[in-house]
Amino acid sequence: MKLAALIRKEFHRFFHDPRLIVTMLLPGLLIFALYSILGEVIYTDEQETYEYKAYLMGSSEAVTLIDAAFEGAGSDLEWLPAEDEETARAEVEKGNAAALIVFSENFDAYGEGANVAIYYKMDDDASYQFYALVSAVLTEYGMPFAIVSNPIGEENLGMTVMRSVLPLLLVCFIFSACMSVTLESVAGEKERGTLSTVLVTSVKRSHVALGKVVPLSCISMLGALSSFLGVAFSMPKLMGVSFGFLGSYGFASYALMFLLILSVPPLIVALISVFSTLSRSMKEASAYTSALMIVSMVVSLIASFVPAMGNWALCVPVLNAVVTLQTILDGGVPVWQTFVSMGANVLYTALLVYLMTRLLSSERIMFGK
Amino acid sequence: MNEEIVRADGLKKTFTLSKKQQKIERTGDTRRVAVNGLSFSAYRGEIYGLLGPNGAGKTTTLRMLATLIRPDAGDALICGSSIVRDPAKVRDKIGFLTSELKLEGFFTPSYLFNFFGEMHGVPKDVLEVRKQELFSRFGIDKFAEVQVKNLSTGMLQKVSLVISIVHDPEVLIFDEPTNGLDVLTAKVVTDFLTELKGMGKSILLSTHIFSLVEKLCDRVGVLIDGRLAAEGNLEEVARGDLEGSFFDLYHTIKGETV
Ligand SMILES: Nc1ncnc2c1ncn2[C@@H]1O[C@H](COP(=O)(O)OP(=O)(O)OP(=O)(O)O)[C@@H](O)[C@H]1O
Ligand SMILES: [Mg+2]
Repeated sequence: MKLAALIRKEFHRFFHDPRLIVTMLLPGLLIFALYSILGEVIYTDEQETYEYKAYLMGSSEAVTLIDAAFEGAGSDLEWLPAEDEETARAEVEKGNAAALIVFSENFDAYGEGANVAIYYKMDDDASYQFYALVSAVLTEYGMPFAIVSNPIGEENLGMTVMRSVLPLLLVCFIFSACMSVTLESVAGEKERGTLSTVLVTSVKRSHVALGKVVPLSCISMLGALSSFLGVAFSMPKLMGVSFGFLGSYGFASYALMFLLILSVPPLIVALISVFSTLSRSMKEASAYTSALMIVSMVVSLIASFVPAMGNWALCVPVLNAVVTLQTILDGGVPVWQTFVSMGANVLYTALLVYLMTRLLSSERIMFGK
Repeated sequence: MNEEIVRADGLKKTFTLSKKQQKIERTGDTRRVAVNGLSFSAYRGEIYGLLGPNGAGKTTTLRMLATLIRPDAGDALICGSSIVRDPAKVRDKIGFLTSELKLEGFFTPSYLFNFFGEMHGVPKDVLEVRKQELFSRFGIDKFAEVQVKNLSTGMLQKVSLVISIVHDPEVLIFDEPTNGLDVLTAKVVTDFLTELKGMGKSILLSTHIFSLVEKLCDRVGVLIDGRLAAEGNLEEVARGDLEGSFFDLYHTIKGETV
């Protein structure tokens, strides 16, 4: 099949060029390095083991699991009996205890309304680490109950900032991954006259367009995936937690984040492909692309610092991913928002591929002076 | 020898000139008629040459025949298929080569041969046999696995030529096939064309070089300002002196001395 041959050619080109592969995998490593360093700076005593004191109300078998986890992490944990919630919370706030955990009555029976509340102090590293580990253990416990987290006080400022700019960074890295492969492959081929050589054959223009967008998207997704893993692995560090891959986010958060991140590269690849097809040279195409990148960065930046954009934002490409990522990072599990964003991105990608097909068929664009 | 294999009928193409182009060409006209009602026929097994000065409309004509651009009026039949109504079919019947069409330097001749074969829908087994045959015939076999960017100009030209006939087309269309090539590489091309003619292919080429026409072409059409000024066998048109006849024609049409 002609389309398959076109797609194979792009992959062949990519996977036989070590330089291109490095360019693709670098962003993830950079994010990991960056966030690890920042994590170290923000949580200076991150590697130390604490001696935790925590209040416990109610009881559950999960407590033994928690004990085991702390022992595994090499920390001491002492449970303090809590007289009443008020005093215990006050002690947590004063910093005399890491947290207060309240198991509901019927917790181990998994009855209706089973839940566990965790009170911890946001700007206290030890308290936060305690919270992160306990919630990770309880998440793995995997039973149908709700974890109610009750942060006390203000969040650590450094972390707030890092969390706000994370989507922006992701967009930035994904964009540059898409840019490096697409400019070279589409604008480069047009400028060098190798694209017209394909157009002389009887292959359909739509296949030529898809033969670019599909493989380049896959390749860029590889870059996005690398960025995603970079984030996933540095998140626990950033949270001041030195153990576990998932940190304090649950599996669902990561799954949604992953889906969102994968929906962005095809869109950006298709967008850059369209501009590359329009341009006469790589220089012209990279000028357009830089402008696009600046626009999407400004959009992401605004979104990072403007809370609650409203649902219309889900229909705006790139912005939708940023806004939804933000929700996930803030601890939400925005299922339908994720799927709406993905759907919108897929739709835009399809439209752009159609547009590229039209451009490839235009003699003025392809063979004009 | 008398089967019409290419038949152009009233081909016309007008371009809209951009501001930039108007400046470059020092003209206030916004439109340029590049090809103006061109009709001619080329027959099976012959080499037909379109001879014309710069800007006569040669490239435009050949691009229309190769279905890369659409004529504003008129049509052409290539092996019976219309360039206007059936462009995809035409593309599989022709091999088109110009200096603007390039091969990606990253790939090897062997890879590109297979790739373009697939683009034309040639079955895999047929492709392998053809590759063997053509590569050894034109001495490419030793370079089959060398990246195109590392080939000498002559070898690259051979590879381009061979790839343009990967799908065994009936008709070959070459725009200025020897332009910008040194004498050795130019000879590679002219030998190739002669060889193709020997294989029974029909060839349509454009050039502004008189000697190339004299050496290769069976019939020639003289193109001036997008119109056919003369057409016929080489002897009929040249009347012993192709260059002289050309300038006579040019003066009669343009009414000026060069
Ligand atoms: N895409 C285009 N847009 C605008 N004008 C064009 C375009 N293509 C060709 N022309 C103009 O049409 C005329 C014929 O051009 P064409 O390239 O067909 O000539 P040619 O005979 O191939 O000349 P050359 O020997 O320079 O290659 C020229 O005046 C050229 O400037
Ligand atoms: Mg020309």
